[in-house]
Amino acid sequence: MSRESLLSYTLTARYGDAVVLRGVSGTLARGEIAALVGLSGSGKSTMALALQRLLQYRGGVAEGSIVLEGTELMGLSGRGMRVVRGRRIGYVPQSPGLALNPKVRVRTLLQETWRAHEDRRMEPGFAENVLGRVQLPGDREFLDRHAGELSTGQGQRLLIALAILHGPSLLIADEPTSALDAITQAAVLRLFADLNRESGTAILFISHDLLSVAGIAHRVDILHEGTVVESGPPTKIFGEPEHPFTRALVEAMPRRP
Amino acid sequence: MWKRLALIFLLLVGTSALLSPVIAPFSYSEQFRDSANAPPGGKFLLGTDDMGRDRLSRLLYATAVSAVLAPAAAALSVLLALLACAFPGLVVGGLTTICLSIPWIFLFIILRAELPLNTDPSISVLLTFALMGVAGWAGPARVFSGSIREMMESGWMLQARSAGIAGWRIGLVYAWPHLRSVALAQFRVLAPVYILAEASLGLLGLGVAEPMPSWGNLLRDLQHPDMVRQNPAILAPLLLLMLCLLAIEAVAVKTHEKEVFR
Repeated sequence: MSRESLLSYTLTARYGDAVVLRGVSGTLARGEIAALVGLSGSGKSTMALALQRLLQYRGGVAEGSIVLEGTELMGLSGRGMRVVRGRRIGYVPQSPGLALNPKVRVRTLLQETWRAHEDRRMEPGFAENVLGRVQLPGDREFLDRHAGELSTGQGQRLLIALAILHGPSLLIADEPTSALDAITQAAVLRLFADLNRESGTAILFISHDLLSVAGIAHRVDILHEGTVVESGPPTKIFGEPEHPFTRALVEAMPRRP
Repeated sequence: MWKRLALIFLLLVGTSALLSPVIAPFSYSEQFRDSANAPPGGKFLLGTDDMGRDRLSRLLYATAVSAVLAPAAAALSVLLALLACAFPGLVVGGLTTICLSIPWIFLFIILRAELPLNTDPSISVLLTFALMGVAGWAGPARVFSGSIREMMESGWMLQARSAGIAGWRIGLVYAWPHLRSVALAQFRVLAPVYILAEASLGLLGLGVAEPMPSWGNLLRDLQHPDMVRQNPAILAPLLLLMLCLLAIEAVAVKTHEKEVFR
């Protein structure tokens, strides 16, 4: 399976003296779903932020190279980077309770996200359509709700809707299912797979949960102590894990009683 | 019910203050030399002061001065504080520290000394409250920059940045709903503080200048307990001040509750 390259990166990241990513490098092809799996504290969220050059807002520093569709993002100005964020890279953060501003209405969140990259007004029905794609109601009552009034599942779907609003070529999802119950989790995972199939959006799916991502990822990267120790299709990761850490991870997976 | 009552009371006070030139029985500076320190009743509903001026008329005019200008000055402070927060946190932190360590009372003394003696009283009133409003920005700015710092670290701020939303839109649409309640609280703290500050300045002869009345300089009569014993109506400005503050609080708290539990 050879596809056109979308993203390639080499990243080193640190907070003060603590180095979190040690020259992690990887690539992502157009339309590919890659899962980045590691334990908590292995630098997964750092990676998600560093790829969007947002790490400085968390007090971190990232160095290296991020090439997206032929553009070196590390060389872009703040303004240039703002145009990339939301339009070419969509970001689905974890825990909607924190990532959605509780005092802002759903309608306003959609409008502001739209306005960030478009001068013309949102077409009528557009918001309803996007909400429909993530299986949220698009009626007036829902649009008028404040984000603080949504359930966790609805919030997570709304975060996905905001991330895909401008049809980005890359979606970075950071533990998008970790706050959800098992059934909602499965539904959201299916949603990502559908989005990928329908619009060809490449997804970098970051998770601690090997089992949940295995079903939708084309490739799994195992992140351990700041580097990718093993990479391959899910069947290989599960069938013949090579690195001791990967083996430990696979063995630790829950089994049917 | 309480909120409606408080609103009606504030409206009543407001309109009677604004209409004071029409409804006040006398001018605030008219002296009746034969009836200084007159007790309440008859021609003078609240009596007269030691210079023979009608206390009711002075109270009405004073309300127009204090109840309008002190909140205006409070609004000015809060507005300046909000504007200051557009600058980087470090700059605001440094400036507030400097500003909070300035002994403002001396600036008021200098202001009063620099103003020509024949300055129109209404100009000096405006200047006093304007200076108060400008001097008071640092306190609320501290509070704002604290909550802004908190917001900067919030997940939703990061989410908004990741969506490519411009900084000023984040401030206006995402941060303002959070700052609004802080701003209102600051305003509610500062407005009564300024009313009382003007009263203290008045004790030093720095507040609103005679003959113009303000709640502050009317309260100066409370220095003489024997006078209060003679004419309890001297307490009227104090009573009015407390009732107004209570009413403002009742309106503000109810409105806030509505916002929280909507």
